[in-house]
Amino acid sequence: MLTTPRLIAIALCAALNFSIGSVVYLTKLPIYLDSIGTILCALLLFPDRRGGFVCAWISGALSLVLSGLLINPFVPWFEMTDVAIALFSSLVIARGADTFRTHPLPTVPFAVRVVVYGVCTGIIAALVSAPVVVYLFGGVTGSGSAFLVALFLKTGQQLMSAAILSGLAADPIDKTLQVLFAALLYRATPTEFIKMLRTSYDLAATTTHT
Amino acid sequence: MRQRQLTPSGAVAFGLILIIAAMASAGVAGLALLAALCAAFAFLEVGAASAIALKRSLALVIPLALFMLIVWVGIVGRSPAEIAAGTSGSRAAALFHVALVCARLFLIASVLQLIMARFALTPPLGFIAALRVPLVCKRLLVFTLSLVETFQHAIDRAHTALVACGLLTSRGSLRNLLHAWVLVQTVWLTAITIVVGRLRDKWPIENTLAQLDRALARGAQRTLSRHDLIWLPLALAAAVFAIGAR
Amino acid sequence: MRGRTLIVGPNFSGRSRALMNLLRATSDVPASFFVGPYAEAALSGLSSVVADEIRIYQSSDVSSSKADFSPLDFTSLSDRKPQTLSGGEQVLLALHCFSRSAYQSIAIDVALEQLDGANRALALDYLGGSSRQEFDVVLTDNRLDGPLPHWSCTEQTNESATFACDLPALANHLLPQHAGPLAIHDLHFGYRNGRTILRGADLTLEPGAAHRLLGPNGAGKTTLLKILVGVLTPSSGRISLDGVCYEPARTGNRAIALATQNPDHQWCGATLREDVTRRRSTLTRRIDMPPPADERIARLGRDLGFPSLDQPLYELPLAARKRLSWLWPFSGALPWIMLDEPTIGQDRDTRRELALVVRRLCALGYGIIFVTHDDDFAAQVPHRRIAIENMTISTS
Repeated sequence: MLTTPRLIAIALCAALNFSIGSVVYLTKLPIYLDSIGTILCALLLFPDRRGGFVCAWISGALSLVLSGLLINPFVPWFEMTDVAIALFSSLVIARGADTFRTHPLPTVPFAVRVVVYGVCTGIIAALVSAPVVVYLFGGVTGSGSAFLVALFLKTGQQLMSAAILSGLAADPIDKTLQVLFAALLYRATPTEFIKMLRTSYDLAATTTHT
Repeated sequence: MRQRQLTPSGAVAFGLILIIAAMASAGVAGLALLAALCAAFAFLEVGAASAIALKRSLALVIPLALFMLIVWVGIVGRSPAEIAAGTSGSRAAALFHVALVCARLFLIASVLQLIMARFALTPPLGFIAALRVPLVCKRLLVFTLSLVETFQHAIDRAHTALVACGLLTSRGSLRNLLHAWVLVQTVWLTAITIVVGRLRDKWPIENTLAQLDRALARGAQRTLSRHDLIWLPLALAAAVFAIGAR
Repeated sequence: MRGRTLIVGPNFSGRSRALMNLLRATSDVPASFFVGPYAEAALSGLSSVVADEIRIYQSSDVSSSKADFSPLDFTSLSDRKPQTLSGGEQVLLALHCFSRSAYQSIAIDVALEQLDGANRALALDYLGGSSRQEFDVVLTDNRLDGPLPHWSCTEQTNESATFACDLPALANHLLPQHAGPLAIHDLHFGYRNGRTILRGADLTLEPGAAHRLLGPNGAGKTTLLKILVGVLTPSSGRISLDGVCYEPARTGNRAIALATQNPDHQWCGATLREDVTRRRSTLTRRIDMPPPADERIARLGRDLGFPSLDQPLYELPLAARKRLSWLWPFSGALPWIMLDEPTIGQDRDTRRELALVVRRLCALGYGIIFVTHDDDFAAQVPHRRIAIENMTISTS
């Protein structure tokens, strides 16, 4: 399952998660954009759902560790959110792979898929993350969504409901953006690289033409 | 004969023990002991380069500390324990909670920066080759490091391409914000092109990964040094105290 | 594979495939060292510094050692990231790594074309000129058309019709231009690592003429090009265009169309249409000349061998991408054109026809700056010589 091209895809998707997520983290906006690579990894490995899940999950976990060590020490604890996003991406979002790569762009089907997948991913992420936010961090992490939690607490909400409400307010928008960016990057990815990710690919079969 | 100088394996083990102890420790006394050990390591092993390492750690933690102050002390006004207990709480308790979290984060960041400073003159491959871990782990570390470099190189190349074609400016501008998506797409495509070139041509013809494995196997250091045998027990003792103390 | 083999032939005739087939001549053929065109096929991609790149290939078996190939002082470069070396320096590093390795054979696919004259001669000498070396070599190189002494020569003759370009037709489709003089005054530039590239450089480039930038590998030719398009900011000095102060680092590049040494260093889209549309969007706000329309771009694309604007750029063969990198500079969108090693990977006929196009562009009023180690190509383009060496610029 984990061929050399797939290991490279995992590392590149992790680098994408880390670099974009770090930039957004520093802006303190209530969005994350730190799972674009995870979703993209699942799309790249479609139709291999199991391989897609494993590679997407590893790329997410790798970026969480890197981010935790270098930028945001809170994120490694959200591993279950990473698992949930990887699972949903490989089982559901990856079904849109053919639509995402169709030329010319089928605007309405593309947009509908992006929005539906994004909102569903957002709801799942919000529900899975809320217990971690509440029980490990008392409701507030280092990201911009902490402002939303704090505001809900001020209005008299209990900790868990404040965390869930802030997640449901921010995550669907954030995840819709992430699905959109992942779909556009998948659309632009050269076919040669996607073929390399099939386990049947023979690395020695092709060559540069001069 | 056992060598004197701290080995990469010893340094990594030392760092891991301190980081785990810092994350698991809940008391001020435990964190203080870990900080003292970290300071001793900085003075004795790292020397003058400690200043730069500590400056970098501050640069990482201060923005987070300011953010947490605004949220916890400014907006919420209570500590998590007080919220869970349903009491009215106080800003002083919130401040203490923020200080403890930031102290822990500063300690973790400092340990990492100090280890990097200690081995700043060792080439990365030499550092990884010297680690006492299975070959497959070393290979994965080299892969990860090399692909981070590849990604950084892709960012540089993509930035050059977009500045040269007029979409971006090398200085800050509104144009750069408007074309941020083009930069992301170009970075991704550049990175893919680089790795495809290696995977299709260079690596299969040379069997480069086998060459890497030989280089990694050559650099392995199989025994701990005298300095390793001093720092590791100290770290373990401090960890036991920090985790046990409440 | 035995001895020394040179594979010749036009572009897309199967030279690379023939090279790979030689490497796979027997089922148990040992691995060969490979130096392909551009960095991703010349360097291992597994090292962060030059010292590690050498360490990866260093052989521990003394009996298999070959004569050392060290035209550069790699010890002084040991802390540099390999990707920050110039294209020629990367090829020299690759050859140095081969000389330190246990590999008994090496395959080089057009990589030697990136070397300056002196280093190219050294490399060819090492690979099989006068010295007796105990290793096999397979080489493709567009500037070696015939057999070399002690080398066998294989000629590929089946030129593919795909990507067949018609540069003479393209020359007839070029539009006139009114470029203004481009000048630099007392320019200073150094990298953050302390390496000074230019100190007090002065230069005036007149339009309607070609200017060739010369200098050894690593002298700063590509650095000067990057300063002129705004990628790098000089520490002091100024640039003027048509007598007016020009600050591309602040205002964006609005005068120079650059075709980079590695064509993949210049794309800004996934397809040709996307790339051109984005470039065009930067034009309409800046100059009065109408930007090139899709029809014009499509016609130039056909002349270069690409029938469709929806061509995915990154899925083309490398030699084809190199030709496509000329399209925007030749479109007439911008008055100055920079060509960085335009003939790398191009066969003799294409190089001759490219020289024809460059002469035509000069006659139409464009300003041309080109960097090349290909003296044959340069001899076909009347030009002024601009030498960069020891941090200064001199003209002749």
